Amino acid sequence: MTLKSWLGGAVLAISTSLPVLAAEEGPLVSADWLQQNLDNPKVRVFEVSVDPGVYERGHIPGAVNIRWHTDLVDPVRRDIASEENFEKLLGAAGVDKDTTIVLYGDNNNWFAAWGAWVFNVYGQGDRVKLLDGGRKLWEAKGLPLDSSVPSYTETKVDVPAADKSLRARFPDVLKVAEGEDKNTKLVDIRSPKEFSGEIVAPEGFKELAVRAGHIPTAVNFPWAKAVNEDGTFKSKEDLQKAFAEIGIDGSQPIITYCRIGERSSHTWFALARILGYQVKNYDGSWTEYGNSVGAPITNLAGTVWQGK
Amino acid sequence: MILSLRLALSGLVLAGLALLALRIDSAGGQSRQLAFALLTGGALGVVVQRARFCFLCNLRDLVEARDPRGVLSILAALGTGLLGYFIIFGMWLPTPSADRLPPTAHIGPVSVALALGAFAFGIGMATAGSCISAHFYRLGEGNIASLFALAGAFVGFVLGFMSWNRLFMADLTDGPVIWLPHHLGYGGSLALSLAALAVLTAFVLRHGHAIPRPPSGSHGPVAGFRSVFVERWPPVLGGVLVGVIGTFAYLRLAPLGVTSQLGTWARKSASSVHLLPDTLYSLDTFRGCATALTDAFLTPNGYLVGGLVFGSFGAALASGKFTLAIPSLRQVARSLLGGILMGWGAMTALGCTVGVLLSGIQAGALAGWVFLVFCTAGAVGGLLVLRRIESRASS
Repeated sequence: MTLKSWLGGAVLAISTSLPVLAAEEGPLVSADWLQQNLDNPKVRVFEVSVDPGVYERGHIPGAVNIRWHTDLVDPVRRDIASEENFEKLLGAAGVDKDTTIVLYGDNNNWFAAWGAWVFNVYGQGDRVKLLDGGRKLWEAKGLPLDSSVPSYTETKVDVPAADKSLRARFPDVLKVAEGEDKNTKLVDIRSPKEFSGEIVAPEGFKELAVRAGHIPTAVNFPWAKAVNEDGTFKSKEDLQKAFAEIGIDGSQPIITYCRIGERSSHTWFALARILGYQVKNYDGSWTEYGNSVGAPITNLAGTVWQGK
Repeated sequence: MILSLRLALSGLVLAGLALLALRIDSAGGQSRQLAFALLTGGALGVVVQRARFCFLCNLRDLVEARDPRGVLSILAALGTGLLGYFIIFGMWLPTPSADRLPPTAHIGPVSVALALGAFAFGIGMATAGSCISAHFYRLGEGNIASLFALAGAFVGFVLGFMSWNRLFMADLTDGPVIWLPHHLGYGGSLALSLAALAVLTAFVLRHGHAIPRPPSGSHGPVAGFRSVFVERWPPVLGGVLVGVIGTFAYLRLAPLGVTSQLGTWARKSASSVHLLPDTLYSLDTFRGCATALTDAFLTPNGYLVGGLVFGSFGAALASGKFTLAIPSLRQVARSLLGGILMGWGAMTALGCTVGVLLSGIQAGALAGWVFLVFCTAGAVGGLLVLRRIESRASS
């Protein structure tokens, strides 16, 4: 091989890999980028879907299945997966130090966003990305799905201890509600009907809290306001504007919550990862707060729990 | 009506079904699933109509006329589906580890409620003349009485939801969820299930008379045409095709079942008039023909059942089996009563002859076999009692 052709090849390789690198920069990857990187050994795709059988009947080729109810949570106590189990999960998927991690799932990436939050709590940083638009967009574009389960060479993974700065606990939230912490902003991303206290749980879901309403001082920002019709996130500028309208501009720390903590991960992702604000997700959410004894509640609709 | 005209009409109906599926499919995304459900239902409708795949009629043929063909076709469907399901299981869940079940497969609890429901379902189908799935395909054949049976099933579902919490509180709905591969592995489960089917096949062959094939009067293309479009398909072939369709349905959509949409409508309507308690204890956690908690008017199961009725209609037109049959008052009463029993049974047992018996046994669920035993007992008992009542009435 002559030096000239070698150089030419190198230039070509760099120029074709440039857009790939560019797309990898942010917290989101596009369906097109992922499609081009399916064979890239340094990209590992995880599906976190909530409906059973969705992954098995066809997933993005090479994607590893994460079962939300058992793999990312502690199956006994209410908590995220233990450090040890999380390391096992990453190791079994063959994640290396320089692997780009892409998560996606059904239901507008709700559970994939929850996954991204857990990955970030365990210090996986900027290499954790969401597939913009999730499963919905991938399917809408008619991109290929595969039903075979991949197997990867196991790696040894060491993750740092859980990062407490990304997770709000009940006492943190109570301080805000009782006015002790006047600096932190609470964002309730449930539907307006849940926020106002008209209903306790969304239609079709089991009621898990015995009180209706929201945490005092919280502002309502239904999660769907952060996405476009096709399920992709709105642009950074639009998100900035939409949040600024309800007084969330990143100048103060933020806590997001919902009913059980997954939809709020989606908003956490928008605020923390896309806008770069300082945000904690309160995964105890309304099922913890609305059941706690003695905590102040704002119940605009005045719905009284009937015990049914 | 002459054959060519019937074939043309049938082609028109089936082409219409295909066009409708294409139209739905073109919306992309989730709609593709609905189009697939419609086509799967259509294929199932054609097969069950052409092969007369009807649980009760097949059982009655064996019990009353010692004709084994129909029951053999059910056994063939079970065997084919078992193989298909286990091929899929091996891919989706490489080892049947203790804490997991293959997604969405109909592996329900083995409970007293299951046995009660299956028994009631058996009596109901003997009374109403067919099980729920067969009433759907007979509706496609123009059998008006089926409408009453299905209306009865709707009422039965409501009664089932109303009695559910009582059964739950009496500890009758809960039971072990027994998936054979958890205990015997894939190989062992398959071997045991196929052996059980072989024993049943031997029994049926011993018990039944050999039925000679009707001599075909003519040969050549016309006779071939008639054997496809007019005469009943060989029952075992029909059974194998039902097994294959069940496998594809599980692979792409969900296990076959015909009551989920009916149950969903029943539950929604009864809830909206406050007939049901707010909570049906642990009902939605069980596997089976679950009622969908959705706002959509039609679920994929609704498309499947719609396809079944239209597929059967198309096939019945070709074979000359389509006749608008106006039922007598007595038939209406029997259909309604049988339908109510079937609806209550299918709700309580979390499915019917298709959802629990067929899709359960194919998936290696013990619940499927339990349904088979109790439903058969109910149906045979029901047939005997009904025959006695009828002979007394006529004497």
